[in-house]
Amino acid sequence: MSEKEKKEMVGYRQQPGKIPFSRPGSGGKSPFSEPRDEEMIPESQGGKKNQPWGGHRHDKLITGRVVGKSTSLVDSKWKVTGRAKYGDDIRLPNELIGKIVRSPHHYARVLSIDLSKALDLPGVISIATGDDAKNKFGVLPVTKDEHAMAVDRVRHIGDLVACVAAEDEGTALEAVRLINVEYEILESIHDMKDGLNDSEKPIHDRGEYHIGEANVQKRVFQEFGNIDSMQENAIASHKNNWFFNGVNHAATEPHAVVADWDPSGRLTLYTPQQVPHYVHRALADVLEIPMHQINVHRTFVGGGFGGKSDPFPHEMCASILARKSGRPVRITFDREEVYWINRGRHPSHIEMNLHADEKGRLCGIETDALIDGGAFASFGHVTTYYNGVLHTAPYEIGAFHYTGARVWTNKPASGAMRGHGAVNSRCAVEVGIDDLSEQLQVDPISFRLANLLPPNSATITGFRVTSIGMRECLERVMEESDWKNKFRKMPLGHGIGIGCGFFISGSGLPIHWDPNKFPHATVHLKIDMDGGVTVHTGAADIGQGSDTVVAQSVAEVLGLPLDMIRIKSRETDTSPVDLGSYSSRVTFMNANAAISAAMKIREDLLNATSEITDSPIEKLVIGDRRIFRKDDPAVGVSYLEALHKAQEERGALVASGAYRTPPMGRAHKGAAAGLAPAYSFSAYVAEVKVDVETGQTKVEKVWAAHDCGKALNPLAVKGQIIGSCHMGMGQVLSEEMRYGRTGNLMNTDLLDYKIPSVHEMPEVTPIIVESNDPEGPFGAKEAGEGPLLPILPAVCNAVYDAIGVRSNELPITPDRLYKNIEKKCRKLKIDDPMDLPSPRLEYSELQEILEKRSQEHSIRDRDRRLKSDIKPYHNGALFGMDPTIPPDEVDESWKVTVIPSEEYLESPRLAGSAWLHTERRKRGE
Amino acid sequence: MSVIRLPMLPGSEKIPWKASINGKLISKPIESNAILLDVLRDQVGTLGVKRGCDMGTCGCCSVLIDGKPKLSCLVLAQEVSESEITTVEGLADGHHLHPIQEMFGEYGGSQCGFCTPGFLVVISALLEENPTPNDSEIKNAIEGNLCRCTGYQQIVDSVRAASELLNSGNTVSNSTEPKSNPNPGFDE
Repeated sequence: MSEKEKKEMVGYRQQPGKIPFSRPGSGGKSPFSEPRDEEMIPESQGGKKNQPWGGHRHDKLITGRVVGKSTSLVDSKWKVTGRAKYGDDIRLPNELIGKIVRSPHHYARVLSIDLSKALDLPGVISIATGDDAKNKFGVLPVTKDEHAMAVDRVRHIGDLVACVAAEDEGTALEAVRLINVEYEILESIHDMKDGLNDSEKPIHDRGEYHIGEANVQKRVFQEFGNIDSMQENAIASHKNNWFFNGVNHAATEPHAVVADWDPSGRLTLYTPQQVPHYVHRALADVLEIPMHQINVHRTFVGGGFGGKSDPFPHEMCASILARKSGRPVRITFDREEVYWINRGRHPSHIEMNLHADEKGRLCGIETDALIDGGAFASFGHVTTYYNGVLHTAPYEIGAFHYTGARVWTNKPASGAMRGHGAVNSRCAVEVGIDDLSEQLQVDPISFRLANLLPPNSATITGFRVTSIGMRECLERVMEESDWKNKFRKMPLGHGIGIGCGFFISGSGLPIHWDPNKFPHATVHLKIDMDGGVTVHTGAADIGQGSDTVVAQSVAEVLGLPLDMIRIKSRETDTSPVDLGSYSSRVTFMNANAAISAAMKIREDLLNATSEITDSPIEKLVIGDRRIFRKDDPAVGVSYLEALHKAQEERGALVASGAYRTPPMGRAHKGAAAGLAPAYSFSAYVAEVKVDVETGQTKVEKVWAAHDCGKALNPLAVKGQIIGSCHMGMGQVLSEEMRYGRTGNLMNTDLLDYKIPSVHEMPEVTPIIVESNDPEGPFGAKEAGEGPLLPILPAVCNAVYDAIGVRSNELPITPDRLYKNIEKKCRKLKIDDPMDLPSPRLEYSELQEILEKRSQEHSIRDRDRRLKSDIKPYHNGALFGMDPTIPPDEVDESWKVTVIPSEEYLESPRLAGSAWLHTERRKRGE
Repeated sequence: MSVIRLPMLPGSEKIPWKASINGKLISKPIESNAILLDVLRDQVGTLGVKRGCDMGTCGCCSVLIDGKPKLSCLVLAQEVSESEITTVEGLADGHHLHPIQEMFGEYGGSQCGFCTPGFLVVISALLEENPTPNDSEIKNAIEGNLCRCTGYQQIVDSVRAASELLNSGNTVSNSTEPKSNPNPGFDE
């Protein structure tokens, strides 16, 4: 036997004269390996893919297979055939139907619950009340304030009081009707401003941490920079008081859950959850069983948007009923119940003051945000911070003052919703900049371009900003929308407006902070002799395509087609812990974890190939299902051959990879809120048509540029951008949770809660900007939430451009806008709104200064991106500070304060007045 | 509010009901006031028909009744006794997907996928009636369906692509086709 033949036979010795058998795992189509697509291989690796901004740490892993190519979701076939199983599609044999008894009162003490009639009803199997589970839970460990069902008090209409499991839905509903609850009605609070005052019976009692005797759940005070002189230096100031109505996620799938307590004593909970891990923890707390006895099975999720990211009381109810009855219990919400559980965007009063100085710099942002948390804390702690800290970029600012407070009221709880905490205040900032630009007589895009933070810089609050594609986003939308020929030049009723966004790509500090440095995301890979790669991940695919992204990442590194990757992401029994689908963290963290696991397998395969082919590892490259010598592609082995060699003496290859954020940020209280390993940026231009005689606004076109670092799957990124436009457009024009005079929520259905239909949707031109983030997987950042932010202010500003009228309450429904049109007409003494003047712009001298500065900054930014300038850059340099040192270290007038001064407390603003109370523990009683 | 709901105890009498569902004759005793959506989900087992709102606003429960798209949450089951009903499960021909099913995947018409079955049956009826719809015809056809993820644009893209595929005479891929061989050769 020749040497060559010997090599080919490694591992599978064939008897002489017999037909060669195929390797186990062979078969299938495409018998030949495709040549490497040089267009997809980065320049840094000798390929043809342009890298204007330099290389990336993952470049050497690129095989040109799938990353960067539009890829349909790996589970799309399940969805289009109706075989995808969502919460209510889980049907277990012998199941019971669960229904919930809900409070008809805003705020009441539960005096007694009479179950006798319901228990006598044939077909009722078990009933549970608050007495069955008294332990509190909540998504944030510091604010656990929810019970499975009311213990002592109900806190809003629709709050859970008891639950029933029966043989069928009709019987369960009848049992609910037969349960007689006696209440003592307490005085309820509906206006969030009342929540700031002392109350006889606060909605929650936080013990020694309670703030005064008020309903303030969380308060924040932050002052950074040149606070004292910002108003003196200003030549233009914008002041506005906003009110943002609450909005709901309105995911098409109502919440549903199935709990099954199996004969071995383990609980399996089937639930459409964004964050299975937190439910897992909460179940263990509430049911008092160890986590290893619980398997949380994430079903397909019919839309989350933040609305399925809390551990929910109905999930506890189903589990309790299943334990009591010994049978599986299914609870499905009707649409109305979705509004009772809510967790939508906070109704907010936001006072936004911006100041600009003579050089056209943003010398101060003052924000005061009072947000209505409803009856429970949910994510509110974080939301209170996000309303302020997430507008400290992308602009360089001279001073930042933020006072925020979240209060409890007797409404369904607000929580996290797409663009968590950042959306409303971002809208206020961007509209403010539009107004400032008008006062300064400059183009608002020029104003923005001349005030951007550079790449690799630190914000005023100390966030580490790495890649920034903001400048490119602005330039692209300006060009594509023909901005220069439209802005302030269109006739009455037609307008164009700009808005920008900035959002976190994952949160730097995990919610469940552990001193043990657990990773944020972990991915396990397993490859057996069949060659298929099984990926175990806990990341929850909620439709955004996280399964697809993780499959793409693994396929890319190993040079495999997607059909060889199998994603197992459903069960906590088999998936490693992942912190869940929120904070736009999944692509960034989970793909990073997947890459690090795949790198270990890659190394095994390269070692095996090196051994078989006698080639040094450095000479080998991975192509389509084949590993070969770069200098002589004919010398190489198939993927399966390398795999089988690597499996000798060892069996299946398994690898684990994890991602944890690097240490970042400053040390002041609250410094971690808003801290992220990377940030996304976006700029949208919206073109609208406003009917001045009716106040009706129609968005005609949107140019939407989003910097997502790198689009791993451009199809999904575009889908996220367009989908974000849809959701943001709803909030700005039609969606609101309407509370009546007595505090009742009046539109608990999709007829009265108006989400845009296909006819309301404008034509959206998604523009993907790739800034190649150094920390992101293959350079990627988030694309799920950030794209929502700019659409609100872009539309608001476009409405102003069209008719010269600003609204300060969202949504801008026709009636609201028409009232403002009437007001403007009265002010200008015009009878017919058709005679309203449309705003026009005459440039001041400042325009030229800004354009010049933006050109200079453009060069500065390029140098910093290309790493020819690697000096640190701290916010403040634009105001003459040394960019390399945090300004507070050199200048005493540059503040870093998180406690209000006595002087401030003499005349606090609205949310700031929360600081007039003293925490109980500090009262010395 | 659940507490003020009228009693819904199952009636004692059931009436016979039969219908052809996705080409299969099904006969079941049902309650006289049973809603078609409940019958399809709970008794027939076509769980691809989704319940989103129960009041005809979201379109997730759309099915074809004798070829016409209808909201099954607003139809009494006994009204459509003896009818031909097509749900999303009935769109594919064996392992050959309907062109709109194929294109929904390819053009991103489906994200979370919950509204997808409703859109698919409505669009399949549109394409049946009008194989080359223009944009406004597409929008009019899907105006009763709400989607919270895609912003509709990629759904409209999918319909256009499906229409092209349908008229090109090409068939869609068969999902049982062999998949990639992990042991490929080297072809110079």
